[in-house]
Amino acid sequence: MKRYILKNRFTLLLTVLVAYMVVLVTEGAITGRKAQFVDFENPFFDLNVNNIEALMNRGESRDDVRVNVRENFR
Amino acid sequence: MDKFAVLQFYALLKREFLEHRNLFLGAPAVLAFLILVAAVWVASQVDSAIIVEGLEYLAVLFDGLSPFDMAPFFLLLSIPFMMTLYVCCLIYLVNTLFQDRKEMSVLFWQSMPVSNFQTVLAKLVTVIVVAPIFYVAIIFCLYLVAIIWLAILGFTNGVAIAGIGWMFLAALASLILIYFSSFIASLWLFPTLGWLLLFSAFARKTPLLWAGGVFILVGFLESFLFGSEYLANWVQSRATNPNQYLIFDLQTIVARLFNYDMFFGIAIGSILVAGAVYMRRFID
Repeated sequence: MKRYILKNRFTLLLTVLVAYMVVLVTEGAITGRKAQFVDFENPFFDLNVNNIEALMNRGESRDDVRVNVRENFR
Repeated sequence: MDKFAVLQFYALLKREFLEHRNLFLGAPAVLAFLILVAAVWVASQVDSAIIVEGLEYLAVLFDGLSPFDMAPFFLLLSIPFMMTLYVCCLIYLVNTLFQDRKEMSVLFWQSMPVSNFQTVLAKLVTVIVVAPIFYVAIIFCLYLVAIIWLAILGFTNGVAIAGIGWMFLAALASLILIYFSSFIASLWLFPTLGWLLLFSAFARKTPLLWAGGVFILVGFLESFLFGSEYLANWVQSRATNPNQYLIFDLQTIVARLFNYDMFFGIAIGSILVAGAVYMRRFID
């Protein structure tokens, strides 16, 4: 197996990248790694998005998205 | 470890520094000179009464306070040097193994009684341990020149500057924080170091483009093959929080060094570094 991995630079690179991906994906699956939610703030508009998918499907459900618009704009 | 191996490794480290003096010594020296020139120019534009008031404020601000309590203030001032260190280390890692093959000097270096593992390890130790030492030394020289300049300003304007001695002690204490911040940041970014070395050893041309392009491709592949985004999530967890790269309190060093995320990152980086070590044998 070592002979095939070290045959040329491309097989070696492919092996390293496969090992890298497998270890990362396995660790992510075991630990349940998730992305952190995004939080934008500015003086005129506050948007806290806990569920990005709900924002994308805003027409279907607004329960998971909280949007507060300041009174200044009224 | 026998004395010959230690001397051999020292010679490898010395070679890395001598070949890349501009990155490890020249760049921070130029940055320190520019900061000094900018400070002198700003001081020349400001009214002397404001300078006296500023000096009196500084003398009182640091007077009697523990240097390590005030050191984080100077740690923030050193951020331009740390950014320069990261950029220079990026340039160094991307080019180091690539340049040997491009110049065909790799044939000479591989004829030496030094293994590929020792050579790659020397490059990692240069980035993680040695380079920050030179940056800290340059920052120390800058602080020394600044404190002498402030002392001269204080004497000429009749300001009691005993408190500025405490400020200098806080600046010196910050040098320890700066070094440990760089050291721990380098270990935190060990997967990145390994990734850059791997493509520096692999690419025939434009290693940085290869490193960036393959990284993006691997992310797409993971999403396509496994339907997951664990790679992107992992990178985000390591890259988006600036506090991960700074040490404000020496008591947090042990916790920052010995935790699961640090060990896992070093394990991932070791896979990539091993790939770079084996990749170095392909000199075509």
